[in-house]
Amino acid sequence: MKQSYKKIMMYGVTLLSCVFFSAGVTVYAEETQGVKGMTEEEFTPAKEVLTVKYVQIDKPYHVDVESLSGAFKDAQGVAVPLQMQDKAFPNGGGSVNSADVKAVHDGLTIYFHISWKDPTENARAIAIQEFRDAVALMFPLGAVNITPSEHFSPRMGDREKPVNLWHWKADWESDLLVKGELEDVEAQYPNMHDDWNTNPFSPYYHRDMITSVSVLSGGRAALNLFSQPGRKRTVEDLNAEGFGTLTTQDHQDVNGCSQYKDGIWTVIIYRSLITEDPHDVQFVPGGNSFFNMAVWNGNEKDRNGQKNISTQWHPVTLERVAWQ
Amino acid sequence: MTLVHNWHLGRRMEYPYFESRPKRQFAAVFNINRCIACQTCTMACKSAWTYNKGQEFMWWNNVETKPYGGYPQSWDVKTLRLIDNNGGNVWYTDEKDEKLSPYGVYEGDTIFEAAAKKNLNQWAVGYIPEDKEWRAPNFGEDVAMSNNKPDEYSTLPEHSRWFFYLQRLCNHCTYPGCLAACPRKAIYKRKEDGIVLIDQKRCRGYRKCVEQCPYKKPMYRGLTRISEKCIACYPRVEGKDPLTQGRPMETRCMAACVGQIRLQGFLDDNPKNPVTWLIRHEKVALPLYPQFGTEPNIYYIPPRWAPRAYLRQMFGPGSDEAIEKFMVPSRELLAVMSLFRMTQSIIFEYKIEEGPKVFETVIHGKKFEMFNDTVIGYGEDGKEILRTTVEEPIHIRDPKHYNSI
Repeated sequence: MKQSYKKIMMYGVTLLSCVFFSAGVTVYAEETQGVKGMTEEEFTPAKEVLTVKYVQIDKPYHVDVESLSGAFKDAQGVAVPLQMQDKAFPNGGGSVNSADVKAVHDGLTIYFHISWKDPTENARAIAIQEFRDAVALMFPLGAVNITPSEHFSPRMGDREKPVNLWHWKADWESDLLVKGELEDVEAQYPNMHDDWNTNPFSPYYHRDMITSVSVLSGGRAALNLFSQPGRKRTVEDLNAEGFGTLTTQDHQDVNGCSQYKDGIWTVIIYRSLITEDPHDVQFVPGGNSFFNMAVWNGNEKDRNGQKNISTQWHPVTLERVAWQ
Repeated sequence: MTLVHNWHLGRRMEYPYFESRPKRQFAAVFNINRCIACQTCTMACKSAWTYNKGQEFMWWNNVETKPYGGYPQSWDVKTLRLIDNNGGNVWYTDEKDEKLSPYGVYEGDTIFEAAAKKNLNQWAVGYIPEDKEWRAPNFGEDVAMSNNKPDEYSTLPEHSRWFFYLQRLCNHCTYPGCLAACPRKAIYKRKEDGIVLIDQKRCRGYRKCVEQCPYKKPMYRGLTRISEKCIACYPRVEGKDPLTQGRPMETRCMAACVGQIRLQGFLDDNPKNPVTWLIRHEKVALPLYPQFGTEPNIYYIPPRWAPRAYLRQMFGPGSDEAIEKFMVPSRELLAVMSLFRMTQSIIFEYKIEEGPKVFETVIHGKKFEMFNDTVIGYGEDGKEILRTTVEEPIHIRDPKHYNSI
């Protein structure tokens, strides 16, 4: 028995090609992307509609949560239930189970106010084992109608059905506050030894090495937004059409600010209603759209698909501009 | 998952992508017996690629002392423990097939199969070493494992007080754990030479590669917030360095090897390719931890003094045969080993011109004859790039220079 098993293991391709080939194909179809099927409810948008209230906002010189909080006082929010991401590998999340979302616009800019409970603040991702807190909003691209009969995946969109994502990151907020606008490794490891600051030779002696820094910082040379000093923003503007396709846009239009207080993250993400970028979602006062969201808890090592997600789209309606 | 053939394991195994072998595979043979742990390879790599800010802890190439050393600390022990059977390395070796299962058939789980069995909802088992585990790259250097009494000597064939050096870099695996793990497909294996690279534009610093590479060679750079790994000096391998005039050139760590333990080349189907011959035909060089299931492409001639059980765990069941062949080398093996570090250009083929017998003796009861054969190495274009002899040429200094420097 053992012998024949070995033969199958070694010569399986020739001996049992048909059996293995068909098995291989089935397995591939079901699991190769590490994706499990979705339920019908997920294709049904939630009943609660997020009304984007029209308010006049005197945009402060320095945009922060405090100065904008007044704008949201009459806005009606929705509570978005969150759960672990259990469809696409790697699965994860489940530590945050709900987030409150409110939104307003002033005819020029749309502001989303998101808050959720998180007992730990993780605003740095420099050490290898540390991960950032983050939140993302997702919108279908273009004018779409989402109903149970017209499927539009609430999980990262789908092929030919792209989504626009706004991804706020806690460490990008920290980056804004330091000189050079990118936290250096010394922020994590104070007084660390490095050859650059303790070098006894003159900069002239090391000029080749010094000028090679940006070329040999892979992420910087490749213009990866994560690695760039001076991003001037805390929110990344992205597109996706399905799992694993998330891509940073060439043109960044979204910004945001945040506050961590008493175990609650409050993040405001804002962008002008209309942009010139064809890859951006566009908002028209009086118009409709949908949104979905996810929250990452850095303390639970959340990142990528390991996140707390909402499994349904939420409708968004923008109030018309009115004299007040 | 799909089923792919892994010839190290002698069987098919589960992997998230279809089998797709490169035209030729970046590979190298390291003769552990010769290594003196001078770390010249380590520094050659460091000074070329990882001298920058945020890379202070990064050693794409490192040499660690086994059994106690490890960079990051205890990487192999920790990964072996994650495999279901606690690293129990069970092989069926009664039947072998030259091409499909030269070492026998592995009966345990790979990192991919263990993850599926444990329902981890990720592609491979793994862990992220914390920053403190990367801090001491040469921790345990020269520390010997010993069962001896203080005044007891060790004797061959197996020393009971022993250590050896393990030279490590990215294995540019045929089935990379890092590539499988990346949810963004930011890691790719080049079709032309099998080099595995992280796309620095697509990487988002998720550290799934750091987690699921069993050899722990992708590393996270805090400054750029994304991961980096050994790039196999691909500009040199592509022949972009002017020194070799367009011919593929060995990597920095290979070329700098003082102990002449390294030979780099491409694993292909040519039996007269020195790397292919050593690995597939003479079977004197073995993969590192083949049971992980990634089909690594750096091959090692195991240290002949180390306990065989340890070597079998590290290099698989081919260890005994490899040591036997290395201890009493055949005429061809001796000739091919003369090619190590004779040129920086990659040798694609060798030819041996027979020379006279110069020495004979008995090693461990076996007759050993040494012939001063001439070995010729040919480049990619078929042109001769090197000619050497088994007996190293001796140059005697002119008496008038005896006292000059």
